[in-house]
Amino acid sequence: MSTCQRVARPIARSMRQDRVALSFARTFSRSAARKEEVTTTTTNTPPASQVPPPSSTAADVTKEAPASQPKLTPDTATQYWEEIRLFKKGTPPVGSRRRRVAMQTSENVPFEQMPYQCFQEARRVLQEDRKEKLQALSSEIAKVKRLEATPADQVPGGEAKKNMRLRSMKKWVEELKILADINDPIVKRKFEDGLGDMDKPIYRHLAESKWRGYPFRLITQRIEQLKIVPDVLPKFEPTVDVQMFFRQRKTTPGEIIDSRISEKPPSLKVQVFNPGERLVSVVVMDSDVPNAETDSFERRCHYLAANVPISPNSSSLPLSKVNKDTQLVVPWLPAFAQKGAPYHRMSIWILEQKPGQTLDLAKLKELYSGRDGFSLKSFKDKFTLSPVGFNIFRSVWDEGTADVMERWNLPGADVEFKHARVYSLKPEKKARGWEAKRQKPKYKSLWKYTKRIRGMPRR
Amino acid sequence: MSTSSLRSLFSGLSLSTTTPLSSTACQRISSTLVRSPTAAAIALTPLQRRSFSFTSPAPAKADKSSKKKRKKGKGDEPDPRIQNLKVSNPRKVPAPLRFARNRALRHWTIHRAWLLFQRKEREREEKELARLYQSMHSACEELRQTSGPGTQDEGYLYRVAMEKKGVFKHHNFPIEYARPQVETPAREPWNHGWTR
Repeated sequence: MSTCQRVARPIARSMRQDRVALSFARTFSRSAARKEEVTTTTTNTPPASQVPPPSSTAADVTKEAPASQPKLTPDTATQYWEEIRLFKKGTPPVGSRRRRVAMQTSENVPFEQMPYQCFQEARRVLQEDRKEKLQALSSEIAKVKRLEATPADQVPGGEAKKNMRLRSMKKWVEELKILADINDPIVKRKFEDGLGDMDKPIYRHLAESKWRGYPFRLITQRIEQLKIVPDVLPKFEPTVDVQMFFRQRKTTPGEIIDSRISEKPPSLKVQVFNPGERLVSVVVMDSDVPNAETDSFERRCHYLAANVPISPNSSSLPLSKVNKDTQLVVPWLPAFAQKGAPYHRMSIWILEQKPGQTLDLAKLKELYSGRDGFSLKSFKDKFTLSPVGFNIFRSVWDEGTADVMERWNLPGADVEFKHARVYSLKPEKKARGWEAKRQKPKYKSLWKYTKRIRGMPRR
Repeated sequence: MSTSSLRSLFSGLSLSTTTPLSSTACQRISSTLVRSPTAAAIALTPLQRRSFSFTSPAPAKADKSSKKKRKKGKGDEPDPRIQNLKVSNPRKVPAPLRFARNRALRHWTIHRAWLLFQRKEREREEKELARLYQSMHSACEELRQTSGPGTQDEGYLYRVAMEKKGVFKHHNFPIEYARPQVETPAREPWNHGWTR
């Protein structure tokens, strides 16, 4: 078989399948009734019997359409009502309506069988490479097992050398797992669509590299700019992706949030990039509570939850929906800033607990239900937690803050902070200059020109 | 700006024309010139170009072309300065590829396969070179350890093999290659007494 034939084979195969040759190929500009016909023909298997007669009115068809189409799928919805329902369901239709119609009426040649010669050659090269990688992977795993089975005194270098070799071999195994799949266009497509299974190393790798691109740099810059690192923790480097949503709207790190919006706790999306389920603690703290007596700023805990399970595939963490009995320690207190005070940094921390470690809620409640004077560092050190994720928003006094404070019985809405007047320590000086010297009646003729005296307000 | 001076200008411009432009055409052009200098510049350029390329332009033809130009106005051709800039500064970054999803994915696939192929070729070449170097090294080692022909002691063959006699002759390597090419100048920058 020549190369040309070999390449054209997949399309020939797909042509041979007795699929319905749709007569309604150009449905883009047709009326609603025509479109209805198209959807019914594509979804039902025996098409000829179910096609409504061409004389049927649009109203007729829309009445019977829901019955004939039980499944609402975002890939095939072409009707207004279908799209609206899908939007309401939270699974918006994919692409444009035009595209969806075109997808249904075209030959659905699978992507990997597209009859382009260079593409097919490229796929062959990549598949050969993948086969090699998989072989290398299996042999490497066998090597690891063999090394694990040998006792340490028979390995040259002893226990330490054996452990080091095992570590590096396992690292190489992980790398090979990623390398086997990194060149697959299907994997890339799935990841771009957000359908990747985060339990697989390749998708985790892709997600992490995407996060390291811009969001990680942004969050590290916010940590630096807003002085989180010396103020809250002595050192910190985020390793998991934390996204924050107020009322389903994603907020950028460091955004100033209206106090009415931040009255309800945000929901978080915590994407971890290493496998396995782990328990985390979530802390929301305000590190800028002004204290007029000591003329300084204090910290306050706005939210604390512990023992929250997080895994690569279950990343959603709505703060309002944590278990009240087993997870919640300190309930949400809305962010508020009194009038005149500088912005409050509300930082959200994800602290990973040790594997198998569950925190004692009663003890936590006893320690932290006071909220004021919360120290993240002491919390972290006391329970041997490691901070992994971070996000931040800020709050300032705005027109809704007084209402929010009243609703939550928070005192201090009538207080306004002002800077204390600082008087100059320099002694007073006599007015100097040409004008100051000519203020006496002797120079009455010059008074017109001696109004501007240095250091005095204009008369 | 008078008509006579314009006429002299045009007679200078049309180098290869046998007959001067008809007076009507000149007058028309002069009227455009009086109205707006920019339009005049545009009206001038086609005439100029034509006069160089055409061997015997009929006056009626020139008349027609100028008429067309005037009708079209000044917006139909970009500024010659911009054109000149574009020609002299080609953009450094090529225009981005604008592909639909599947096409982009196919492109990506081919690109990845090409990168993979290149990497494999490179590794293969490196491996081959390393193998050659290693075999040469082991051959030299073997020479160093054998005691030479006849009564020669151990290492004689190696010493002979390492001799560079005749390597830098005429038509062989240039003598400059006997020294490593370095980034900083030597302490003695130029040996004036050197002869081949």
